[in-house]
Parts: sequence; C-alpha cells; structure tokens
Amino acid sequence: MNQSAFEFHDLSAGYGEKTILRELSGTIMPGEVTALIGPNGSGKSTLIKALGGFLPFTGRLALLGREVNQTPRRELGRLIGVVAQQANVKAAFTAYDVIGFGRLPHQPLLGRATAEDERAVLNAAERLGIEHLLFRPVTELSGGERQRVLLAMAVAQDAPVCLLDEPTSAMDPCQALRAFTLMKELAREGKTVVVVAHDINAALSCADSFIALRSGQIIARGRAADLSAAVLEALYDTPFIPYVSSRGDTVWHPVSSRS
Amino acid sequence: MNPPSPAEGLERFLFCRRRRYAALGSVLCALLLLVMLWRIAQGEWDIPLSRVFHLLSPLLSEAEAKTPEALVVRAVRLPRVFAAMGTGGLLAVSGAVLQGLLANQLAEPYTLGIASGAAFGGAIGFFFTAFAVTPMAFAGALLSLALVSLIARRSGGGASHLVLAGVIANAVLSAGVTLLKAVADDKLGAIVLWLMGSLSGASPQGAISVWLGAAAVLIPAWLYGRSLDAVSLGEGQGELLGIDEKKLRFRLLCACSLAVALAVSRFGIIGFVGLVVPHILRSLIGPSHRPLLIFCFLTGALLLAGADGAAQRLGELPVGVITALAGGPFFCWILVKRK
Repeated sequence: MNQSAFEFHDLSAGYGEKTILRELSGTIMPGEVTALIGPNGSGKSTLIKALGGFLPFTGRLALLGREVNQTPRRELGRLIGVVAQQANVKAAFTAYDVIGFGRLPHQPLLGRATAEDERAVLNAAERLGIEHLLFRPVTELSGGERQRVLLAMAVAQDAPVCLLDEPTSAMDPCQALRAFTLMKELAREGKTVVVVAHDINAALSCADSFIALRSGQIIARGRAADLSAAVLEALYDTPFIPYVSSRGDTVWHPVSSRS
Repeated sequence: MNPPSPAEGLERFLFCRRRRYAALGSVLCALLLLVMLWRIAQGEWDIPLSRVFHLLSPLLSEAEAKTPEALVVRAVRLPRVFAAMGTGGLLAVSGAVLQGLLANQLAEPYTLGIASGAAFGGAIGFFFTAFAVTPMAFAGALLSLALVSLIARRSGGGASHLVLAGVIANAVLSAGVTLLKAVADDKLGAIVLWLMGSLSGASPQGAISVWLGAAAVLIPAWLYGRSLDAVSLGEGQGELLGIDEKKLRFRLLCACSLAVALAVSRFGIIGFVGLVVPHILRSLIGPSHRPLLIFCFLTGALLLAGADGAAQRLGELPVGVITALAGGPFFCWILVKRK
C-alpha cells in the first residue's frame, strides 16, 4: 500500500486563542485529487494552512512520513506548492518572474535561474495557457489571469504536494475547467493535490476523493463518486438534487428547502 | 511571419532587460563621475580639473600635500562628496529594502521610527556634550526599533503591524524632539541645525562609516535579493515558497537600522531619498531587488551628492531641506503621472 501524503491525528489549529479545527484525524493519499468541501467558515482554508505548516497546531501531522513541525521551512517549500486564497500581488513583477519564484526552493541562496528553471517556467506557463501573458506585469492582469499565473508558479515549483485554496474563484468557466483538468493531470503524475473549491461540481469533476468539513470537523469523507445528497444537505443545511448530464456525469444543484 | 515561440520571446525579453540595465548603469556611473568632479573642483575656491587630478594622485609629495589647495581637495571636498554619496546610497538602499520587506511602498527609514529614534537620542545627547550626540542617536535608533518590534510582535507580528507600530513611534518620538527643542534654551540652534541634516564638515571617518553602513545593508540585502522579491509580493507569500519571513525580516531590519542610525547620527535627518529613489527606479527597471538595490545605491549617491552641491551653492543650506523641497513635489508628480 502507498505511503500516505498527509497523515494527521487529533489535529487542532486556529488563530491565536481561537480554535477552528478540532481534533481532526485522517489521511490524504498521494496520486489523488482530494476536494475539501464545506460551507463558509467551516475551516477549509485553515486546514490548508495547517497542512502546509503555516499555522501552529496541536496533535500529529506528518507529510510524506516527516513531522511537519520539525521540517525546516525551506524543505517544506520543496515539498509543498501552495496557491493561497487571496491572489493579491503587490509588486509589479512580470508573470515570468512570478512563475520563476516557484523555483526558489530549488535554488541556493546565491543562485540564479538556470536553463532548467527557465524550462520549468515555460512548461508551467504552457500548461496553464498563459504564454502570451509572460512578459506583462502581474499587477496589470485580471483576477483570473493572476490566479492562472499563481497556479503556474505552484506547477513550476514541482513539489510532490499541491495545496490549492480556491485557485479558480476568479477564473471564467473554461479556464477553471482547464485548471481542474491540470489538477487531474498532476495527480496522475503522482502528485498529491488538495483543492478547496466552492463549485462542488467543478471540484468533483476532477477529484478522486473528498473531505467534507463543517464547524472545524470532518463530517464525511470518501470517494468523490460516493458523495451523497445526505452529506451535502448535512453540510450546507440545504437539499441538493442530482442531475445526470447527457455525458453521464452527476451534477449537484441546491434547491430552496421551502420549495 | 510566425509569432516568436515562448523560448524566443523569453530570450528577447531577457536581452532587452539586460540592455536596459546596462544603459541605466552607464548613465548613472557617468553622471556620478561628473558630479564627483564638480564637487571636488568647484566651491568657494575653484580648482582646475588637471590640478584636481594631480592633487588626488597617491604619488603627491609630502610638501605638496600640505598646501592649502591640497588640503581643501583631500581633507574637505573628497570626504564631503564621499559622505554624501555613501549617505544617499545607504538611505536609498534602506528604503528599497524596507519597502520590499514590508510589501509596503510607503516604508522607508522614517516609517519604522528608526530615524525619529535617532533624532530623539541625538537631541538628548546635545544636553550632555557634542560627543554624546552620535552614540545617543545610535542608541535612540536601536531602542526605537526594539520598541516597534516588541509592539508589533505583541499585536500579531506581521508586516502591517510593524508599519503601524512605526507610525505611532514616529509620532511619539517627533513630539519628544519638539519637547526637547522647547526646553533646549541655548542648545536650540545646534539641535535644529543638526536635525535639518547637513554634510558640511564631513570627516574622512564620517565618510568611511556611512560607506560601511551602506555595505552592511547592501551586501546582505543583495544576497537575500531573490527572497526579498518573493516577500515583496505580499505578506505571507514568501512563506509559501519556503522562506522564513520572520528571520529574513529580523536580519534585514537590523542591518537597515544600524545603517540608518549611523547616517542620522553623523549627518542628521535627510528625508525623501529613501522614499523617492526606489519608486523612480521601480518604474524604470521593475521591482527585482538584486538590480534594484545596486541602482538605488548609485541613484541615491548621485542625488544626495547633487543636492549637497546645490545646498552649498545656496549658502550652505541644510541638505535635508533641499531633498525635502525638491523630493516632495517630484514625488507628487510621479504619483499623478502614474495614475
């Protein structure tokens, strides 16, 4: 059996005195896309931050067999590529430069971009279809374009684990589909992808498994194909109706509980 | 004709970028050389350039080195122009580092209360003896930074907290300086003149100390340049790329504080260089810190050496007045033009 990418036991984390995640236990398997779903404020982003080692936590959290709180930050940079929820970029770097920052964890202190780094940047840009944006300042790009640049940065980082917090929230449906397809490709290449998305249908279209969070606790988990209306209703306090598309995909749609 | 492939586009982009660096670097170096020659040859007593070169020669005889002309060039003008260049370079580099480190384009040595701390400490020094000004200014800057860091850490520890704590410290320390001026009696003149900033009377030791200060901030900041790039994207962005932001911030803040304290304690408050220079250069060459820091040093050196020349020409005005009077409107013009 494969070694799990993440293994957490009694994991609690939060901000200052406020605890958000309460004693979560579970595993996330490599070579899969795992969708984190749940209503606003359920702790999805907090779990992403805790998994990345960006928040203090109690309990046990292991990444590829290593204790996260004992792994140096630089090493974590090589192991985890992250796209944060807020895609604010304050400095007017070109998209090429920003994607190139993904190579930083692989470069020595005095290092500079090598030919291999340049190849990785161009390859990442090509996978996201943003070659035409490469030499434009990111501050001049639209929100969706900027998200594609930041996703390309995580791809260029070439880390075995990708933690993506609403990476497609500002993208148009076509670009979001392209991004989710890319996530599936990354998983097939052996990487572990954990993605938070409010568009359940888009997330489930690429996800192999899901973790449903509510009030900082895991209320359900399993294979994406096994997600049920009962779980969705328990998550969002709203009934969901499944529709089957002409291609055979299940599409979930919330309905007003009063109708 | 087919559009260029991404690899060809990249090659052309990098070539253009290198060419822009080379052009700007050449212009800055040439201007700096001209300003240096102007500052050494011109003054109350104009000395021909050929004579200046002769007097600057290391092979100058001992007798000739003691002539008034040689003393003016070697012991007065040369230290002054080097002090101006070192101070200008140091302030501009510190401004660029602080702006990158805090991902805040309003950051500069004054935002964090470093310079106000030095001013407060130095002003207290005047109440003891003139020799106490430099060490007291130095202590004031370090104490101010320690306080700002403590407040920031207690309130959350982020870059925005540092800037907020700095603004508060700045206001309190400025009020403290005003209070000291109000009770200064016969020392008021000396305190005011020192606070306005002046490079007249710069000694070789003073010049060397600000160059060392500039090196203390430029070298580590250049080495961490790529990390600084990532951190300047926004708070927390560096952490995502495996950079220990707190450690980086601590190291570079300490280096900046030491350097700025050194400059303020020697030559008083000289504003706007640290704010304006990085802004101008970012719009010319982009925000990448390794080239930005080098060009900031050259431009800051050029700007302050020129401003000091203007200050001297206008009857030995404090150079801080010139940089603020010229820098303020120029900065506003940049902001409006960019909009």
